[in-house]
Amino acid sequence: MMKANSSWFWARCGLSGTLLGMLLLGLTGCGEAPPARFRLNMVEMVSSEMSRDQQIGIANVLTAAFGTPDEPFAMAEAELDLKKLKAAAGAVASDQLGNEVGLYRRHCAHCHGISGDGAGPTAAFLNPYPRDYRQGVYKFKSTERVARPTRDDLRRVLVEGVPGTAMPSFRLLPDHQLDALIEYVIYLSMRGELEQRLVAETFDLDEGERIDQLPEVAEITKEVVAEIGEKWAQASDLVINPDADLAPPTDRSPAELAVSIAAGRELFHGERAACVKCHGTTALGDGETTDFDDWNKRLFKLSESKPDLDLAELGALPVRTIRPRNLRQGIYRGGRRPLDIYRRIHAGINGSPMPGSAKASPDAAVGLAAEEIWNLVDYVQSLPFDSLSLPPEQLVAPKRERL
Amino acid sequence: MSPVVAHSPALSKLSQSRWPHRLAAALLGLTFPLIWIGSLVTTTQAGMAVPDWPNTYGYNLFLYPWQTWLWGPWDLLIEHGHRLLASAVGLLTIALAVALFCLDGRRWIRWLGIVAVVGVIGQGVLGGMRVLLDDRTLAKLHGCAGPAFFALCVALWVCTSMWWTNAKRRPTTGGLERLTLITALLSYVQLVLGAQVRHIALGARPDVFQMLVVMHLALALVLLAHVTVLVVRTVHHRRDQPALVRPAMLLGVLMTVQVGLGLATWVVKYGSPAWLADWGWAAGYTVAADSMLQAMTVTAHVATGSLILAVALVLALRCWRLADWGRQAAVAGSATLLGVTT
Ligand code: HEC
Ligand code: HEC
Repeated sequence: MMKANSSWFWARCGLSGTLLGMLLLGLTGCGEAPPARFRLNMVEMVSSEMSRDQQIGIANVLTAAFGTPDEPFAMAEAELDLKKLKAAAGAVASDQLGNEVGLYRRHCAHCHGISGDGAGPTAAFLNPYPRDYRQGVYKFKSTERVARPTRDDLRRVLVEGVPGTAMPSFRLLPDHQLDALIEYVIYLSMRGELEQRLVAETFDLDEGERIDQLPEVAEITKEVVAEIGEKWAQASDLVINPDADLAPPTDRSPAELAVSIAAGRELFHGERAACVKCHGTTALGDGETTDFDDWNKRLFKLSESKPDLDLAELGALPVRTIRPRNLRQGIYRGGRRPLDIYRRIHAGINGSPMPGSAKASPDAAVGLAAEEIWNLVDYVQSLPFDSLSLPPEQLVAPKRERL
Repeated sequence: MSPVVAHSPALSKLSQSRWPHRLAAALLGLTFPLIWIGSLVTTTQAGMAVPDWPNTYGYNLFLYPWQTWLWGPWDLLIEHGHRLLASAVGLLTIALAVALFCLDGRRWIRWLGIVAVVGVIGQGVLGGMRVLLDDRTLAKLHGCAGPAFFALCVALWVCTSMWWTNAKRRPTTGGLERLTLITALLSYVQLVLGAQVRHIALGARPDVFQMLVVMHLALALVLLAHVTVLVVRTVHHRRDQPALVRPAMLLGVLMTVQVGLGLATWVVKYGSPAWLADWGWAAGYTVAADSMLQAMTVTAHVATGSLILAVALVLALRCWRLADWGRQAAVAGSATLLGVTT
């Protein structure tokens, strides 16, 4: 018995020793990619079948247009503030006066990734995954669905965080640091979008041609960056501002409110708004639970068309479904003011399956009128206080399905 | 002050100087806060708040204006404070080595004192290099070497005690001694794993971090099982030895606290897991970046890790000190817990 005991002992000693040795070996850095490099969007590269050579071409143009993580650069067309970018970029450091640089790597990169691809080292356990900035698609904003967010929208997300997700609130950071970070997020977005556009441009080239070797590459880049910059510059013109005359007055009587809520309930469960399709008749978020957000849908489609592809090898995270929100909790990731919820219903949630409900124009045949959206806002806001009128067995939200 | 030269197992109470033990205790008292502050440097990413080394912004470490330090930015306060405290630990280590050399007759412990001095200097240089090269790998090594040095201090403290000198050997139980050693070893492996999780390279792939976290959790379970068995066995076999029962109990408490702190660390950094989304509190919970709660929870988790290693080592050293390997204790009514015979 003693014998058996002691060999078990030595086995454990050996095992932990080996583990320790391996870890220490790992410490010295084998297999660690150098951190301060932008990674190419390999999902784009593979789906458009870019050759290695073409990828190098695209990387060269990107570096010329936007610099590196340590030395950011912005073309005049991008209308970015280089001073702010420099404070956010680079390695983490600070001076005697407390001026900090490397803000993005200090606060964001472990989740959002150095390249802003939403696949930083800690991302895999998080649900939802951190935002991939590279498409310029943002969820919680005041603008029309496909429009870019305004700087104020991004600031709201940074200050408030996104409740119920890993996205923290950075309200403890001083204003100028938030400004720098917002500028840097936009920078990464623009860079990512340029990359996608360059892939498309390269796709149209002849066999063997590289985008960085075209004589007109400078013009192309300028033009595309200007277009991308324009979208961001326009954002503040595309803010959803509902007509004040149609908004419910602040001094409504309980009876008037009840009428509006009843109308909202009708819409919520009806054919036209069809909120129940996803949020479920209970509004617990148990309707359509097998859909994807835009980022995961892209990956899902790619993995369907190329089944042998190793997504992890491309730097992508495993494909995951999105769950509609449980509306009975009264938690709103995009802000809890009636106006925020109005905008959410008006434009839907960009990047997620939640569709916009507003009429495209006041006399359009489909879509909801402003009054109807306000009714829905009232109903949504009443849900956390509304007792469920369904038998209890239907109230349990289903387990999230994962792929 | 005549050095005690005679090395006899029955070193009498009178001839043993208490000074090495007192110095070792003081060293422990300084090193534990040093680990806290060092860990806080990482948590608040203050490592590069002072770009030069061994100077601080051109000043000699000890001459840096204290007003600028104390009323300066938080990062500077922590980083410079870490350096000052580390220097104090270094000086105290040298004092201890000298005291051992003059006052303790045991050759091996004198050597241990020298190893500690070499260790503390090496650790200081490692910290300095980490700053000069701004290198995450060195930061990780520095973070792993800290607890190892703390463990060395613990060993010096235990071996210079009166208890150690007067301990009477008793039949070994075999299993208990080995279990204590394994537990101490595993708790160090766990610290190193934790450092990997904490210092994950920004360019690393997400599945690497995922694997590290899973390993850290798995080892936490293994450690929990070991500590549980350890507590049961210690109480079972060494009930009459408060010097063993007390650290064993403390280890049990620390381990429980540590598991809680580990879970809390995840939540204050990454929020509550999505499968809790239907639970009101979790649905509305927003992580507050850089909050005091976040910094303190994470730092406490790191520091408690070192404390667990220290207590496990105390237990191991004392257990082995008592063990007379020539004689086997008659184990009456041994029981099996979690597959391990107690
Ligand atoms: C702990 C991980 C984590 C950290 C650190 C983090 N984020 Fe996020 N972030 C997330 C997650 C997760 C989401 C996705 C939320 C969602 O989809 O609902 C997100 C979303 C965002 C969004 C998009 C919001 C929208 O409306 O679509 C922005 C912008 C953003 N983060 C910026 C930042 C910036 C800037 C920093 C650093 C100052 C940062 N994040 C740090 C996890 C993190
Ligand atoms: C196609 C499915 C779908 C439909 C239809 C749908 N939603 Fe959603 N809804 C979602 C998803 C998915 C989310 C979560 C999005 C996220 O956080 O990424 C969501 C989130 C919400 C939110 C939370 C917004 C926030 O700030 O956190 C509200 C409110 C909401 N939906 C209301 C509605 C209303 C009202 C309707 C009907 C007009 C509706 N939804 C129709 C899928 C849908």
